[in-house]
Amino acid sequence: MKRYDLIIVGAGPSGLSAAVEAAKRGIQVVVFDENEKPGGQLFKQIHKFFGSKEHKAKIRGFRIGEDLLKEASECGVEVVLNATVIGLYLEKEVTVRIGDAVEHYKGDAIIVASGASENMVTFDGWTLPGVIGAGAAQTMMNLHGVKPGRKILMLGSGNVGLVVSFQLLQCGCDVVALVDAAPHIGGYGVHAAKVARTGVPFYLSHTIVKAEGEDRVTGVRIAEVDDKFQFIPGTEKHFEVDTICLAVGLSPMSQLLKMAGCKMEDNPKKGGQVPICDEMGRTSVEGVFVAGDVSGIEEASSAMIEGRIAGITAAEYLGYMDSIESGQRVKGHEEALEGLRQGMFAPKNRGKKIETTDEGIQISENLLKRGYIADDEIGRYPGIRQAAGVHPVMECTQNIPCNPCQDACPKGCISIGENITSLPIAVEGAECVGCGMCVASCSGQAIFLVDEQAGDGYASVTMPYEFLPLPEVGARGKGLGRDGRPVCEAEVLKVQTAKAFDQTHLLTVKVPVYMAMKARFFVAD
Amino acid sequence: MEMRIKEHPILGVQEKEKEVTFFFDGQEIKGYEGEPIAAALKAAGFMVHRYTKKEHKPRGIFCAIGRCTDCVMVVDGKPNVRTCVTPLKEGMQIQTQDGVTALKQMK
Repeated sequence: MKRYDLIIVGAGPSGLSAAVEAAKRGIQVVVFDENEKPGGQLFKQIHKFFGSKEHKAKIRGFRIGEDLLKEASECGVEVVLNATVIGLYLEKEVTVRIGDAVEHYKGDAIIVASGASENMVTFDGWTLPGVIGAGAAQTMMNLHGVKPGRKILMLGSGNVGLVVSFQLLQCGCDVVALVDAAPHIGGYGVHAAKVARTGVPFYLSHTIVKAEGEDRVTGVRIAEVDDKFQFIPGTEKHFEVDTICLAVGLSPMSQLLKMAGCKMEDNPKKGGQVPICDEMGRTSVEGVFVAGDVSGIEEASSAMIEGRIAGITAAEYLGYMDSIESGQRVKGHEEALEGLRQGMFAPKNRGKKIETTDEGIQISENLLKRGYIADDEIGRYPGIRQAAGVHPVMECTQNIPCNPCQDACPKGCISIGENITSLPIAVEGAECVGCGMCVASCSGQAIFLVDEQAGDGYASVTMPYEFLPLPEVGARGKGLGRDGRPVCEAEVLKVQTAKAFDQTHLLTVKVPVYMAMKARFFVAD
Repeated sequence: MEMRIKEHPILGVQEKEKEVTFFFDGQEIKGYEGEPIAAALKAAGFMVHRYTKKEHKPRGIFCAIGRCTDCVMVVDGKPNVRTCVTPLKEGMQIQTQDGVTALKQMK
C-alpha cells in the first residue's frame, strides 16, 4: 500500500485545478485518471468560453487545458494515467486498476473530481451503429480528426447539442436537423443562432420515432410530441442520415462517493444523484471533498474554480494552512464562481422558462423555438442601434454571464456594466473605428459590424467566420438571414485574420442597404 | 480516407503519427499509429464492431471514451478490447466480435 497526503480522482478541469492548489502548498498529491491523456473533456472544447476575464472568457477550451497542464506540471503534480479508481473505502483507502493489476493506496484526504457521464434516450433502433453520444462526436472530430458521419441529426438543444452541432458543421459534416422533445431550446440563444444562420432547421417539441437501418443507421424518423411527450399522429418527418447524435444531458458520476459512505441526494437542479456538500466541497465524510460536475452539472469554467476551492480546503484540512489564510484564498474564487452562477441559465433556474430579461425586455419566442431572432424582434434589444458609419450590433438577447465585448472595444462603444449578465448596450456617441475586436471576442458569435452607408447604395456587414474554405475577397455568393435562408446577393469586401482574433476570421460582405440588419451569414456560390 | 479531416478551421492540420498497416477481419487497412483502433476503422468506413451474443444485433462506437463497452472487438486474439481507447499498432489483427469470440468469416 502506498500513502499520499492527498489523492485526487480525475485529471479533468476540476481535479487538476485542485491538484495545483494543493501542490503549491507542498502537499504530496497524486491524481489518478482512467484516460490515456489528462485534461478531461477540455481538449474537445474548441469554442471560446463564456464568462469574464477571471474565468478565462474568450479563450478556447483546449487552450485553457494546455495552460492548466503546464501549471500542474510546474507545480510538480503527479498524474497517473490509464488508472481507474474502482474503490473508495473507509479510512480513505483507494483501489486503482492500473493496466491489468489493482493497486492499493491510502490518502489523508481525497478529492473526488470524477466528472459526469452522458445520458441516453432509447428509441426503436437506438443500438444501431451510427447512433452515438455527442461527446463521442466531439472525441472523434476534435481529438482524432475523423468526421463522426456525413449527414447527422442532433437530438438535444442544450448547450452541448448546440455547440457540438456547430463543431460538426466546422469539420465539414452536414447537420440535417436539430431536434428536441422540449418545447424550447435549452441552451444559450447565441449558440442556437450561430447554428440556425447556417441553415440548420430546428424541430422543437419533436423527438425520434425510429432509427432506420439493418447493420447501420441509414435514416431517421422524427415526429412532434404533445405536452405529455406523446407522438402526434401525422406529424412524422424523415431524414436520410448516417449518424444520429444524442445530446440529452449529463449525470454526475458519483458512485465512488456513495461507496465511501457520503450522504447523497437526488437533485434535479444538479443533474441527478450528488453528494451533499458545502460551498467548500466538503462532503459528509470528513476528509473527502468533491469538485466539478460530480457535485452538480455545470460548465468547465465553474469546475475549475470549484477545484481550486476544494484544493485550498483540503490543504487547510491537512494542516498546511490555517483557516484565516484559506478563507482569504477562497474568497476571490467564491466571488468568481458566484459571477458564473448568475443569469437566466443559472443552476437555480434550470428547467424554468424565463420570458423577460432582467432589463424587462421580452425574450424572442422565435429564438426559443427556431433558434433565431425574427427580423421584427431584433430592434428591441439594447445592443441594436442605428447609426451613421460603421458600428457594432450586439445580437445578445439573454442574460448570460459573459462580458469580453465590453473590454474588447478600445473606444468604449459597448457597455455591460457591473453586472456580468446584463445585456450589452450600444453606447450613444462613442465612435466605432471598425477594428472588429468585439466581433472576434464574442464567444457567442453574436456581434456584427454594420455600415449602412458603406458605399454607393450598399451596406457592409462584418461577421465572425470559423469555417473552411475561407472565402476570398471578391467572392460572390448569398447573404443568409438569421434563419439561414438566402436573402440577397452578397460579395466579400474584406477578410481579416489576426492572432488576436484567435482563428475567428472577420468576413466583411457587401449587401443591399435594406439587408444591413438582416444578412448575417455568407455562402459562396 | 475522406472521413479524415484534412484541415480544421480551428485546429488547423492535425499532426499524425506514422502510417501503419493493420488487418480488419483479414483485410489490410491503413491507419495512424497511436490513434484509437475505432478511429482508424471509422476513417476506413467500417462501423460494425461486434454482434451481440443472444440476438446477434450489430454494435459500433457509442461513447468513444471507454465507458460503454459497445465498441469491443477481438484484438490480437484477445476479446472484449475497447477499441475506442486502445491505440493502433503496426500489424494489429482486429476481428469483428460475435458474442465473445471472433466472428467466423464466410469464405
